[in-house]
Amino acid sequence: MEKTRYAVWFLGTVALAIAVLAAFNALAGAYILNHPAGGSVQTLSGFERALKPIWLEQIQPRLVLVGSSRVRDGFDPALIDPALETRSFNYGVSSMTPYEARRLVQDALAHSSVQQVVVALDAFTGNGGPGEALPSFDETRLAVTPAGDPTPRRPLWLFTTRYLSGGAVGMNALGAWSLAQLKAGQNAADRPDIFTAYSHMTQAVMQKDLSYRSRRTMRIGDGAARELSTMLAAACHARARMALFFPPDNMAIIARYRQSDNAGFDAFKRIARGAVARHNAHCSNKVALFDFMAPNALTRETLRNGSSPDYVDLVHFRPPAGLWLLQQMGIAAN
Amino acid sequence: MPFNSYPYFVFLAVAVLGFRLLEKGAPIGRRVFLLLASYAFYAWWRADFLLLLCGSTLVNYGIGREIERRRARQQDRRALLIAGLAFNLGLIAIFKYDTLLVGTANDLLGVGLPVPHFFLPLAISFFTFEQISYLVDADAGKAHNYSLLDYALFVAYFPHLIAGPIVRHDDLIPQFRSARAAKDDDLATGLTLFTIGLAKKSLIADNLAPFADAIFNAAGRGTHLGPTDSWLGTLFFAFQIYFDFSAYSDMALGSSVMLGIRLPVNFHSPYKSASIIEFWRRWHISLSAFLRDYLYVKLGGNRRGRGRRYLNLFITMLLGGLWHGANWTFMLWGGLHGLYLAINHAFRRATKGRTAPAALRMPLHVASVALTFSATTLAWIVFRSPDLSSARNVIGGLFGGGHSAIVSFSPLAAATLLLLSFIVWLMPNSMELMWRYRPALPSPYAGQSVTPARRLSWQPTRLNAAVYGLICIVAVLALSNLKPFIYFQF
Repeated sequence: MEKTRYAVWFLGTVALAIAVLAAFNALAGAYILNHPAGGSVQTLSGFERALKPIWLEQIQPRLVLVGSSRVRDGFDPALIDPALETRSFNYGVSSMTPYEARRLVQDALAHSSVQQVVVALDAFTGNGGPGEALPSFDETRLAVTPAGDPTPRRPLWLFTTRYLSGGAVGMNALGAWSLAQLKAGQNAADRPDIFTAYSHMTQAVMQKDLSYRSRRTMRIGDGAARELSTMLAAACHARARMALFFPPDNMAIIARYRQSDNAGFDAFKRIARGAVARHNAHCSNKVALFDFMAPNALTRETLRNGSSPDYVDLVHFRPPAGLWLLQQMGIAAN
Repeated sequence: MPFNSYPYFVFLAVAVLGFRLLEKGAPIGRRVFLLLASYAFYAWWRADFLLLLCGSTLVNYGIGREIERRRARQQDRRALLIAGLAFNLGLIAIFKYDTLLVGTANDLLGVGLPVPHFFLPLAISFFTFEQISYLVDADAGKAHNYSLLDYALFVAYFPHLIAGPIVRHDDLIPQFRSARAAKDDDLATGLTLFTIGLAKKSLIADNLAPFADAIFNAAGRGTHLGPTDSWLGTLFFAFQIYFDFSAYSDMALGSSVMLGIRLPVNFHSPYKSASIIEFWRRWHISLSAFLRDYLYVKLGGNRRGRGRRYLNLFITMLLGGLWHGANWTFMLWGGLHGLYLAINHAFRRATKGRTAPAALRMPLHVASVALTFSATTLAWIVFRSPDLSSARNVIGGLFGGGHSAIVSFSPLAAATLLLLSFIVWLMPNSMELMWRYRPALPSPYAGQSVTPARRLSWQPTRLNAAVYGLICIVAVLALSNLKPFIYFQF
């Protein structure tokens, strides 16, 4: 075979594949964003780190919810937006590290459309420190650098991520397929087999969770505490308001946290409260703090007829419970 | 501009196209084009440091040419050579070692000097060493009246500029001057080699990095690592740096081959080495050859007795370690390798003339490879750790020091390690796959020639074009997570 023809075949294969993938991402992305239940795709677990910064840019929301899988599962824009007459965005990603949490909040605050940012504080637990993130997290997609400066050449990175990244292919495929399974008039709550954020905790799930999370603690390391303070500092002069909350883990699992590391659990809350108090003492943009990781109507819930109305498992609350939380926090129509 | 980024793909396509369009009718024009492209490549990172690169090039060229002239007239040129070396070492000391030098002086002498924090210019270690070799060679009569254009292109030639290979002027400049047009083979070979490197980087090295980072960062924070964390962190980093540097070398060579220019082989399956001596003939070959020729030999090499030889080896590796960065961990890493090399040479001397029975040769070879890998991996701990106490922490964890559980030894982790071991020890490397088309200049070390791959040997067939094209796409899709090469920081 002639060598020039090798290059032609090689480059042809690459060009064809790129064209197909870019077209797929463009079409699937448009389908998700324009689907009536498209917001529910934000509750899916997949390649959310890759595509959510792009969606944030495209949706230009007023309300942004940041946190780990608790947030990702628990807040469905398709449910929240009509109820609170707002445009919300679920910026939850699984196993979010403290650094990622701070950076995603910085990203949200940098968007002029954003009026309120709500952050679940469990993302600031553990020992993660500056720069620690999971593999698919990429700083170049965020609006600002860690120091708060605009990210250089960001439009280029957003473009390549949106059309040419494996993460986009995966998330678009998952989202489009999930939405395509909904029949006319159905929403995500009708298909908990696909949109698992809407599934109900059963006795078996509860027992499995208690066993799986038997040694789980809820403590904040030095690095995580620093990231929390850095995040608050970013909010000091931001236009958007910020609310933090201790997520409503079920009392059964809170008992395990206390059993495994009672002092660590108390210290977590104390350090977070202290950071917020210090912030509010010297910043005009006050931060609200809500503690749902305590006995309340939600966390004391028990199974009814072997099924939980509000939980997927002991730490993941369902989107209707997420809406209730926002109402408790006073997040109302803007 | 990192090789593993979309802007570089576009840049490379433009550079190759422009170079090929110019190559037939305008031999000087194509060199000018390549020089401007190389400067644009460097300026993409920070345009202001382009002045430093150009200034360093001009000063070294001026000194080198004057040395050549004085040599031709048989005049004394020692002062000029010393001035040139001082200029280069001063530059690197100011930008790279300022914090370490002043900080150490403050610690030892308590003088309280303000610690400067200069921004480290990209590639300074590489272009400085290359120019030192030019000055030394000019003094030895090995440089040949290069034009400023050729010299500047030798320094700035983009495929090697950022992280090597550390090239010699006589490797590259004759190729720039050659009127030879890049062959059609070259485009096909370069594309394939570049793809192999890209796949190693984005599919392997970048996916190992987060796990190794999490464990070494935890060690840096003072977490007492448990054995699982320490072993997995250490092994993941050993494989990460292997694939990262291998990927970089393939992509550098591949980029250059597309332009019809061969760079020296820089990476040749180092974990297949059966001794530390062999390891350094396979790992960062251009650096070890530079250190041998311009430091070890100048220190006296093996000409002044056994003890002095071992001392020279130790000093050479110590400074080679320090070349990697302004941190005592790099120096300790180099010192460890210096010690390994001295032990290795002493062992060779003690066992000279002895041969193992035929039945034992294979098991002994396997044991030697395993021992070499263990020794280099142990040294990688020091190399990767942010400070010495972190390194102690990781090493302590190997022997059951702590109780952390950052990662678990899952079936996936076991399968990953097995797959990586298979690739590293049982697969042919890229040079062996591509041997028919000689994608690199040969190794400067005797006995390190490329063994042709019996199977999987690359041929420019239509099937291979499609297969490597698809591998390229998979690797490109994984690029959503941009990670610089480890050697970019040096």
